[in-house]
Amino acid sequence: MTVKVGVLSLAHVHAASYVDILARIADVEVRVADPDGEGLGAPDRGRAGIESLGAADGGSYDELFAWQPDAVIITSENSRHRELVERAADAGADILCEKPLATERADAHAIRDAVSRSGVRFATAYPVRFATSFRQLVGIRDSGALGEIVAVRGENNGKLPSSRDWFTDPVLAGGGALFDHVVHVADLLDVLLDSPPVSVAAVTNGILHRDRADVETGGLVLVEYADGVIASIDCSWSLPDTAPRWGGVWLHVLATGGTADIDFFDAAVRGVDGATGSAVELSIGENVDEALLTAFLDMVRGDEHPPLPDLDAGLRSLSIVFAAQESARTGRRVAVAL
Amino acid sequence: MQERPRIGLVGAGGIVSLHAPNLVAFGDVTVFAHEGAGELAAQHGMDIVTSLDELIAASDVVLIATPTHTHHEIARRVLAAGVPVIAEKPLARTSAQSAELVDLARRAGVPLFPAHVVRYFPAYAELRRAVESGRLGELAVLRFSRSSAYPAGAEWYGAEELSGGIILDQMIHDLDQARWLAGEVESVFAQATRRSQGDPVHAAHVLLRHASGAISSCAGVWGPHHLEFTTGFSVAGSRGRLEYSSSRETELSFDLAPVATDGGHLPALSAAVDPYALEVADFLQSLRTGSTPRVTAEDGHEAVRIAEAAVLSARTGQLVRLSETGVAR
Repeated sequence: MTVKVGVLSLAHVHAASYVDILARIADVEVRVADPDGEGLGAPDRGRAGIESLGAADGGSYDELFAWQPDAVIITSENSRHRELVERAADAGADILCEKPLATERADAHAIRDAVSRSGVRFATAYPVRFATSFRQLVGIRDSGALGEIVAVRGENNGKLPSSRDWFTDPVLAGGGALFDHVVHVADLLDVLLDSPPVSVAAVTNGILHRDRADVETGGLVLVEYADGVIASIDCSWSLPDTAPRWGGVWLHVLATGGTADIDFFDAAVRGVDGATGSAVELSIGENVDEALLTAFLDMVRGDEHPPLPDLDAGLRSLSIVFAAQESARTGRRVAVAL
Repeated sequence: MQERPRIGLVGAGGIVSLHAPNLVAFGDVTVFAHEGAGELAAQHGMDIVTSLDELIAASDVVLIATPTHTHHEIARRVLAAGVPVIAEKPLARTSAQSAELVDLARRAGVPLFPAHVVRYFPAYAELRRAVESGRLGELAVLRFSRSSAYPAGAEWYGAEELSGGIILDQMIHDLDQARWLAGEVESVFAQATRRSQGDPVHAAHVLLRHASGAISSCAGVWGPHHLEFTTGFSVAGSRGRLEYSSSRETELSFDLAPVATDGGHLPALSAAVDPYALEVADFLQSLRTGSTPRVTAEDGHEAVRIAEAAVLSARTGQLVRLSETGVAR
């Protein structure tokens, strides 16, 4: 069965990657709508952006929904997820929504209500949990070899997002590095641990990229889970612009049986550039976005699919970000609540 | 002081195995310990005495390598006798005790050196040089981790009233590093947990906010018996980022049929640059020449203060401001 997929907005840098992947998946018809990108003058936004991706232009959001897509992928600015989720839910389209789901608690509630009211299927775009290394780690946990998990350190560090200004706009993005990066590690913990997060402490600063960003660029977060597991997350945009790779995600698990570590996205051919002396890293890692999209489309088709990060998973990890933001502001440890 | 000083050693367990070969190379060593003095003296060629007073009388400098809760009383007596002290870290069990030792040393004009040996490990010394040279620019986010097998050989490590637990005993190395690199600490958030079924497993996470605005994260693990001793850091500043992982920087790798091993809670050392020798040599040189050693008594006290604040935060879950806790000097 051919699935009709609408991509809503090119605001998020992942949109291009999704369109590219969708073009390679059989029995998928794609239309892209980026009405908010029209008139920005950016070559990768609006009709020009859609054309440069070689994708079909879905027109306005009204026109795109009139096409009756089976599913939509929401890749707008974070603060605009809510209105697009509500429209898609009303239209009965299944939803894959970029992370973080919302920038305000009220929007998160509205997203939850719209999805449960309409009964559409919903997934949050957390691709890292699809990495083979992470599935292997889950397998090791399930084998009992890890014993009981005690403490986890996780890092998601990257460069300052620069190809899209809104990533560093506190209103459109919700905040800075806390909003961009905490959720990926939080989602891995959501899969790995058996109990929910209960409290969060965080410190942030804006020393890195001070001249280019008004949001927090450095962030360190502590999370305590109901069963006593503790986690420490570094979400900083702490890779220099000139680094040979975009950044990465790292996970370090301590359990009663020993330790396990993952350096996601580390697989590369490495060397040195003869002209500049700069390090060269040619990534050969798997495309986890593709694994995420494939699972999502299988769900839309009603086929068997690996477990997807559902709405509740998206909201649980988002609730850690809200608590972290409040803790950084107040200097208090904050209870996790949505 | 003599070219070959008379070195008094208090204690014969644990960390002494790393100090003993260096001490006998630097001077003539006398040991006083409740247990193990005979074996240690025979192995390394040391004299033995049976009381602290005798040791003080026979020493130009005394190294205290006893369990943490005994540092204060021993150091107090040695300093009162006018003999310089090298105290294993932490300088004392509480910040009240460490503050008293610093004051006592200053009033008596007797040098007191807290053995924060990580300042002498090559990777950390290199990091400090890079930071001082401005290579990283303004420091922003610092991350340290330290992991080993639970120190099962001596029960006092696990007893918080004696050792202060993992934060005061083990993580204090990285708390000292964070302060050494990014300056005074204003506030602390901490959390800690432990499991006691099977091998004991202890873990702690501490976040620091420095007066400079920089933020630091320290993570400490005492894990199951096979866990190797590993440390690492990642330090990001406005001009760059430096990282180190001890498990990656090993020259030898091998593929042999597995045998059961113990990880231990002490680091593997390179014979060429032994930080335990460097720290003692640094202090002995300061006694001879009046130079300033890499660690001051105040550094040792401040590290205890930060650790104490972290222990309190781990207990209450709440932020602890250094200005509101511990004994400041």
